[in-house]
Amino acid sequence: MNIAGLNEACLRLPENLTVRAIMPVREDMLKFIDAHEAATIELADDVQVDISFIQMVESARIYAGTAGKHIALAQPASGALLETLRRSGFLEGMSDDDAKFWLHQGKIQ
Amino acid sequence: MSFPDPIAVFRTEAAELLEQIEAGLLDLNVNLGDKDQVDAVFRGLHTLKGSGAMFGFEALAAFTHHCETAFDRVRKGEVPATHALVTAVLEAKDHMRALVETPSGDHEAMSEVLLLNLRHAVDGSGDPAAAPAAKTPAQTLFKICFSLPRNCMANGTNPLPLLDELRDLGTCRVVADRSGIPALDALVATDLHITWDVELLTDQPRSAIDDVFIFVMDDMDLAVEEIAVAAPEAAMAAPTRPAAAPVAAETPAPAAALAAPAPGDAKAAKANENVRVPAEKLDELMDRVGELVIAQSRLSQLAGGSGDLTLRAVSEDVERLSGELRDTMMVLRMVPVTHLFSRFRRLVHDLANETGKRIELITEGETTEVDKSVIERLADPLVHLVRNSCDHGLETADERLASGKTEAGHIHLSARQQAGEVIITIKDDGRGINKDRVRAKAESSGLITANASLSDQELYQLIFQPGFSTASEVTNLSGRGVGMDVVKRTIDALRGTINVVSRPGEGSEISLAIPLTLAIIDGLLVRVGNGRYVIPLSAVEECLELSVEEDMRSRGRSFISLRDSLVPFLRLRDLFRTGTKPDQFQKVVVISTGSERVGLVVDQIIGDHQTVIKGMSKLHHDVATFSGATILGDGDVALILDVGHLVAEGQQQEAHLRAAG
Repeated sequence: MNIAGLNEACLRLPENLTVRAIMPVREDMLKFIDAHEAATIELADDVQVDISFIQMVESARIYAGTAGKHIALAQPASGALLETLRRSGFLEGMSDDDAKFWLHQGKIQ
Repeated sequence: MSFPDPIAVFRTEAAELLEQIEAGLLDLNVNLGDKDQVDAVFRGLHTLKGSGAMFGFEALAAFTHHCETAFDRVRKGEVPATHALVTAVLEAKDHMRALVETPSGDHEAMSEVLLLNLRHAVDGSGDPAAAPAAKTPAQTLFKICFSLPRNCMANGTNPLPLLDELRDLGTCRVVADRSGIPALDALVATDLHITWDVELLTDQPRSAIDDVFIFVMDDMDLAVEEIAVAAPEAAMAAPTRPAAAPVAAETPAPAAALAAPAPGDAKAAKANENVRVPAEKLDELMDRVGELVIAQSRLSQLAGGSGDLTLRAVSEDVERLSGELRDTMMVLRMVPVTHLFSRFRRLVHDLANETGKRIELITEGETTEVDKSVIERLADPLVHLVRNSCDHGLETADERLASGKTEAGHIHLSARQQAGEVIITIKDDGRGINKDRVRAKAESSGLITANASLSDQELYQLIFQPGFSTASEVTNLSGRGVGMDVVKRTIDALRGTINVVSRPGEGSEISLAIPLTLAIIDGLLVRVGNGRYVIPLSAVEECLELSVEEDMRSRGRSFISLRDSLVPFLRLRDLFRTGTKPDQFQKVVVISTGSERVGLVVDQIIGDHQTVIKGMSKLHHDVATFSGATILGDGDVALILDVGHLVAEGQQQEAHLRAAG
């Protein structure tokens, strides 16, 4: 998808992206996607994530796709996020689209 | 409305889990072949690890993981359960408690030492997690599809450790199925919509897979299919050859201990429901109930003096309801002594190790219930008594064998209810208390004069004097003469009594008689002169009339004949020096503690009275005749008689009269 010229903005998420803090993050993300044509999600350096965050991002991808909007990660998954993706079985059998979204088409070493 | 701090809730649950683990370990120590206990300890460690990780107690989770792994190996029959292993995990359990209480503390060095001990205990020196190299059982390829309960994340179950545990079982391919995830506007972010397909090549049986899900089994969907049994390489490379039939598509029932009530069985489910309530809230409620009882007492008095029948009816209803409320409240505060006794199993285990003696603890009456505040305050005195029995009471194995006893010494810890009291008995089959040494020590320290005439009971009571010890050497455990003083002070504060029986060479028995509750009792309200007093109803055996003639006849003797036995009695009018003339028809209230009885002569029996016990002021702390006070319906104060003291006084009077001939 070509996002040049779209109303693009970056949403910086808090450090805690675990199930204990995920509800308000979901609210923020929903409002953000509604307000922008293209949303970039930026994670903190020492972000804490669990599977609820991964599920929420997948859900946001579905929502954005249905609404004809674009969503992307500012940086490819690394550190805690990459580890959570691995442990939760998201890296096994990953499609090209998924690899592009989560890993920016990078290969896992 | 305030919500409990989840960390505080975890700490409470962790403390309970640690208690269960300890109990399981101590049971296992008695019977090392008890597979149920091995499973129970494993489950406890597994839950503690999982919950710890969930609430951010990473050090606890990591440390507990090693103990869990060690027990997993025992469970699978890879290593035997040994006393060394039990001891190592008991020590590790204490460390887990520290990791729960102070997670940010510096625990690393201690963790390493304990894990080293654990490794030695498991297999001499190796890694507790390392499986023996010799065994290479056949590998099986399982296809596992599962979905966890939708609300599992909100309820604290993290799917990732479950997937990690599956990976630990062998070579694993985990694929998340995202097809159930809704769009963001329809997502409840704390619900779980992901399911998993897993291929697992393992040498473990199917039950190992079930064990991974043991704590969520009831609410999840799990399908496990055995695809093939093959050599490892072949199985993972070509997993397509199907088995003749799926082995088990249905999930087997989890362990009986974890079984939940059948769906629809609401009554059974209700019976298993518990609500945690902070103890201070119970105390507050108890205070309110106490005030209500006093107010109800005033209402009853007003209604009694009024001709208004409606008021009387309402008053009777309030009286009945407040009585029921009081009874319910009392039950809420009652906890079984098993919580108290369980800690002594560990204490005795440790004391046996420290003293090198073989000691067996036998407990009885663990279901006996006592007010929680009493239980809390009984812990310290019992620790001192049990320590004393182990250290001074029981002989070494050689000494026991030489005197014809079994090698192992026995300590019996029992509890029972009797007449409004709980009797806790600590009995050992050791050497008994040396009366001569007690007397010599008491004389040398000036507690008694030389050749003072003392009954055995009076002599034994001297061991509870501050600083009194007959031990020739001070050990880590006892001998400083501090502990027994603590016992006496605590039991006195609880309005309890201590009875000591000892037989040389056969052992000693110390009984603590404690009131079941310290809050509200049923009392018998009596009048003596112009004052009103409460006698605890649980101690009252019967009431008799004492005519003037009988009173005159018995004067000087103070005995009444009660069904062919003489019972001493005390004239409370004389004891309290009321200076009033006796009523024409005085009453004798016969009270008892155990087998001892005494009559109390009063002027009038007013009737039963719900008595909210209020403590006496510090000014009156040495007035032994009264154990407390209460407020009556008309606002007056009535003193509560101390039954134990009065019975002892009556018995003493009887002894003096008998001695006088």
